[in-house]
Amino acid sequence: MNILKIFGRKPKSSNIAQQRLKLVITQDRVDIGNRDIKQMHRELAEVLARYFNFTISAAQMSLRQEGNSYVLIADFPYDNAR
Amino acid sequence: MGKVIVVTSGKGGVGKTTSTANLGTALALIGKTVVVIDADVGLRNLDVVMGLENRIVYTSMDVIDNRCELTRALVKDRRVEGLTLLAASQKNNKDDIQPEQMKAICEELRSNNDFVLVDSPAGIESGFRNAAAGADEALVVTTPDVSAIRDADRITGLLQHEGVEPINLVLNRLSPEMVRKGNMVSKDDVVALLNLNLIGVVPEDRGVISSTNRGIPLVHDNSSQAAQAYMRIAKRLTGQRIPIPEIREKGFFSNILEWFSGNR
Ligand SMILES: Nc1ncnc2c1ncn2[C@@H]1O[C@H](COP(=O)(O)OP(=O)(O)O)[C@@H](O)[C@H]1O
Ligand SMILES: [Mg+2]
Repeated sequence: MNILKIFGRKPKSSNIAQQRLKLVITQDRVDIGNRDIKQMHRELAEVLARYFNFTISAAQMSLRQEGNSYVLIADFPYDNAR
Repeated sequence: MGKVIVVTSGKGGVGKTTSTANLGTALALIGKTVVVIDADVGLRNLDVVMGLENRIVYTSMDVIDNRCELTRALVKDRRVEGLTLLAASQKNNKDDIQPEQMKAICEELRSNNDFVLVDSPAGIESGFRNAAAGADEALVVTTPDVSAIRDADRITGLLQHEGVEPINLVLNRLSPEMVRKGNMVSKDDVVALLNLNLIGVVPEDRGVISSTNRGIPLVHDNSSQAAQAYMRIAKRLTGQRIPIPEIREKGFFSNILEWFSGNR
């Protein structure tokens, strides 16, 4: 038996609901879907790739509410190794 | 001049009709004159929830088509002074009424009543538009579940776009036990997500179903927490400032009491 199942705490479903709601409500309000965000992500990655190296798989983009405004957060970690 | 308040939600089955019936009755019980309008054309229910289904002769459709005067179409609730119902037609559908026609009805009713409560159908289409057309204010009803909350936010956006102000939130069917165990989003979570003014929290209560079975709105008997919650919301609608108390979990003792009082 998995010991984590005994000792590890499952996240409360109310917390999961709250997190999921934050995301969908933000997307509904800004009127932008996951598909648009993915597409924007791809296009941005294309442009950025012309200028510097980064690991595409590690790149992330998300929409968040901060107070009364919405922020689009793009995270493209710079990859020195290449 | 009375206030016109639309009771709406986006999602169906969250308690719009229950809230309209109980708040209408509660407002009348504290001495206000009230008309409750069923705007759910084709799927009316406010009449049965209020126990007035056998007394309906005319509907808002008859008024719009000039078959009957507005005052004659109103059904008086004989259990409390000052409460009347304007029923919806079952034979028509939501597109048979135009927003301006609903607005005209609301305007006429507000001139000699303190409150006009409009029970909106589910959805964001013409039925909702008609229900909201004559409203100055809104009560957005939601339950603490993901789909209802999301739809409440959507409907709030539409109401804001129409210039309906203020928009107050009614949180229905909250179970304090489930919140404590982490299986239900809390009152504070819902308020933070929707960013609306909370006007009341109505607990999950089996009494709602038995009162609907009988056609007697819960607030006629002020013993349950749900009835008291509706009474407080009614008072807040009249401008009284009453804090929102935390809902008590039902203990063993109150369950026994309820069993003996036959309040099931
Ligand atoms: N606080 C509550 N506790 C228990 N049941 C409730 C409560 N509020 C509503 N219900 C039940 O939920 C169902 C849907 O309510 P209703 O008022 O018809 O919703 P709507 O008009 O939004 O579709 C009904 O069966 C009703 O009895
Ligand atoms: Mg209804």
